[in-house]
Amino acid sequence: MKMKRIAAAGLTAVMAASVLTACGGATSSSSGSTGTSSSGSTGTSSSGSTASGEQVTLKVSLWDATSNPADLAAIEAFEAANPDIKIDLIDIPSNDYNTKLNTMLNGGSQLDVFFIKQADSTKSFYDKGQLLDLTDYIAESGVDLSGFNGTADGFAFNGKQYGLPVRTDYYVLYYNKDLFDAKGIAYPSNDMTWTEFEKLAGELSGDGNYGAYMHTWQAMAYNWGIQDGKNTVLSYETGYDFVKPYYEMLLRMQDAGYIQDYGQLKSGNIHYSGAFAQGNVAMMPMGTWFLGTMKSKVESGEAKFNWGVATLPHPDGVEAGYTVGASTPLAINSATKNADAAWRFVEFMTGEEGSAVYAKEGYIPARSDSTILDTVAANEGMPEGLAEALQTKNIVPDRPIADHVGDVDLVLGEQHSMIMLGEATIDDALADLTSQVKDIMEG
Amino acid sequence: MANKTIQGTNRKISLNTRNTVVGLSFILPNFIGFALFTLGPVVFSFILSFMKWDGFTEMTFAGLKNFQKIFGDKKFLESLGHTFYFAFFTVLFSMTAALALALLLNRKVKFVNFFRSSIFFPYVASVVAISCVWKAMFMENGGVINSALQMIGFAEDMLPGWIASTKWAMPAVIIVSVWRNMGYFMIIYLAALQDIPTSLYEAAEIDGASKWQQFVRITFPMLTPSHFFVFMMLTINSFKTFDMIFLMTEGGPGTATQLLSMYIYNKAFISWDYGVTSAASMILFLIVATITVLQFRVEKKFNDFM
Repeated sequence: MKMKRIAAAGLTAVMAASVLTACGGATSSSSGSTGTSSSGSTGTSSSGSTASGEQVTLKVSLWDATSNPADLAAIEAFEAANPDIKIDLIDIPSNDYNTKLNTMLNGGSQLDVFFIKQADSTKSFYDKGQLLDLTDYIAESGVDLSGFNGTADGFAFNGKQYGLPVRTDYYVLYYNKDLFDAKGIAYPSNDMTWTEFEKLAGELSGDGNYGAYMHTWQAMAYNWGIQDGKNTVLSYETGYDFVKPYYEMLLRMQDAGYIQDYGQLKSGNIHYSGAFAQGNVAMMPMGTWFLGTMKSKVESGEAKFNWGVATLPHPDGVEAGYTVGASTPLAINSATKNADAAWRFVEFMTGEEGSAVYAKEGYIPARSDSTILDTVAANEGMPEGLAEALQTKNIVPDRPIADHVGDVDLVLGEQHSMIMLGEATIDDALADLTSQVKDIMEG
Repeated sequence: MANKTIQGTNRKISLNTRNTVVGLSFILPNFIGFALFTLGPVVFSFILSFMKWDGFTEMTFAGLKNFQKIFGDKKFLESLGHTFYFAFFTVLFSMTAALALALLLNRKVKFVNFFRSSIFFPYVASVVAISCVWKAMFMENGGVINSALQMIGFAEDMLPGWIASTKWAMPAVIIVSVWRNMGYFMIIYLAALQDIPTSLYEAAEIDGASKWQQFVRITFPMLTPSHFFVFMMLTINSFKTFDMIFLMTEGGPGTATQLLSMYIYNKAFISWDYGVTSAASMILFLIVATITVLQFRVEKKFNDFM
C-alpha cells in the first residue's frame, strides 16, 4: 500500500512537470491522478477506480476507424473488460489525420489517448512536450517490453518510454499463384534474394502480364536499401550509395517491361490494391496491412485468382527474415486529466488481450510471437503457408524516429520521381539528394 | 418608422452621428467575420514572421532570421521563379483566350447560350475531378492528348512527356489553369462588350473602318476597365494557385511545378516551422500587394488620360 502511495505521488510529480512544460493545456490534471490509483494490470478494475465509482470517459483519436474492424473490436473488448471506462472515439479520415492531430494537440484539446499514424512523427510530439512519460506506469504494471521484439525501442527518448506500439506492419511478398501455375514456375520461396526476385520477374513477364508490381513510393527503393539495418533514410554521409543498386534494379525492370511504367502509374492515379487485384501482376512487395484488403477483395470477387504470401526478398549477404516495417504507437496526451484510465487503455491495447483481438481480426499486433502469427494465418480466407511467410528475424523501421524525417522524406520523394521518370541519372539525383539532406540535417 | 423611434429616444445625437452609427451597424456583422477570420490571422502571421514557433512550444523572437533563412533557401528562390513563370503565362493566355471567346460569342450564333455555358462550366466544376481527368489525358503513352498529337502527324519521340517531364509539366498545368479561368473571365468581357454603344461602330463603318480597325480603335480601348479588373483578378488567383497543381503533380517531377504556395504548405505542415512559413507568406503578400497597387496607379493614369 505504501509503495502505491509513493508511486502515486511520484506520478503526480511527473505529470505536474509535464503539464508545466506543455504551455497551456490542462490545469487540474494533478488532482485527477491522485483520485484513482493505477491498479489494473490485466484490466481487472479493482480497488481505486471502483471505490470512487466514477465513470471515466476517454477521448481517443484514430483514423478510418469504420473501415478498420480490428481497432474497433479491440476497443470493444477493452470496454467490456473495464466497465468503468468509456471510450469516446474521434474518427478522422486518414489523409487529414496528422494535420488534425497536431492541430488538436496544439490547441490544447481534451484528447486523452491517440494513435500515431506516422511513427517517425513521435519525436516531434515528444519535442513539443505532448507525450506523457509512461516509464513509471510500465514499471509498476510490470509490462514486459521484450514482447514487442524491439519495436518499442524507437518510442523511448532519453531513457524514458513515451509510447507503446499497438500494431507492427512489415513488408512481405504477395504473389498470384495462377500466373506461376500457368508458366509452370515454382512459387517464390521464403528465402529469396532481390537478384533472384528480378530474374523471376523476368521469367513471369510477357503476354500482357507483369512479373512484378512496384508501387510509386520511394519506399520501393529505400526500404530494400535499409533492409540490412545498417543505414537509414537520413544516412546522407554515405551519399545514399546503399539505394543505388535498387534504383538500378527498378530502372532495369521498368525498361524491360517487367513492371509497369512509373509515369503511367502516376498519371493514372493507380492504387496498388487495384493493380494487384486485376490479376496480371505476378509478385508485389507490400506491407502486411494489405492482407486484410486482399482477403476481402477475393471474397467480394474483385480478385479472381489464388494468392499467396512469401517472406520479403532480402539483399545478398543478409539473412532471410530481415524485413522493413513500421509500428503504430499509442501515446497519452501529457495534458490528460485521466492519466490512470488512459494508461489502462494503452496497457490493454498493447498487451496480450489487445494483441489477441488484433490477431483474430487478421492484423499483426506489435506484441507478437508464433502463436499470434498462427492466429493471424488461421483467419478464414488467408492463404496457405502464411504463418511461415510472416516469420521475421529483424524488422528494420522504415523511417527512423528522429528530427527532420518529414523534410527529408519530401526531398526523397522529389528525387525519386526524377530518377524513375528518367529526368535525372541515379548518380546526379543521389548527389543532389545528399547535399539537400545535409543542409536539412545541419541547418 | 425606424428613424422616428431613434429620433424619439436620442434627441441629442445629431443626424450625422446617427447615420454613421446606423451605417456601421449594418456592416458590423460582416466586419466581425472579416476581423476574426481574416484580419486577425493576417496580423498574427505578420508577427509570426519574426518569431520562431512550432505551433506548441514557447514562441521566441527571431528578428529577421526567418527572412534570411528563406532567401538562403534554394527551394524558396526556385519556387518563387516557378510562381512568376506560372503567373505570367497563365495571366497572358487566360486574358487572350477569354477576350477571343467573348468576341466570338458576342454575336447572334445558334446555340450561343449552350457554348457560353459549356465554356463557363470548368470554372464551377470540382478541381479534384478536373485534375484527375486532365492527369489521365496528359498520360505520356496512350493519353488522349498525345494520341491526338500522334494522329495529326507528330512522331513518337517528339511527343511531350507532359506531367512526367520536368520541361513540360509547367506548360501542362498552365494549360489546365487557362482552360479553367477563361470561362469566367469571358463572361466579364461579354458583359463589357454589350455596354459598348453600337453608335460607335456605326460611325466607324460610315468612315470605312475595317473590322480589325474597329477592334483596335474601338473595342479594345473601350474594354480598358475590364482589362484591368481581369488582369488583377487573374494575377491574384495565379499567385495563390495551390489545389490544382497539388492534385496534378504534387509539385513534381522533382520540384518542377513547385509554386510558392506549395513551399508555404510544406514549411507549415511538414516542417512545422510557422516562422519561416509566415515569412514566406509575407513575401507572397508583398508581391501581390505591389502588383495590385502598381496597377491601380496605372489604371488611374489611364482614366485621367481618357
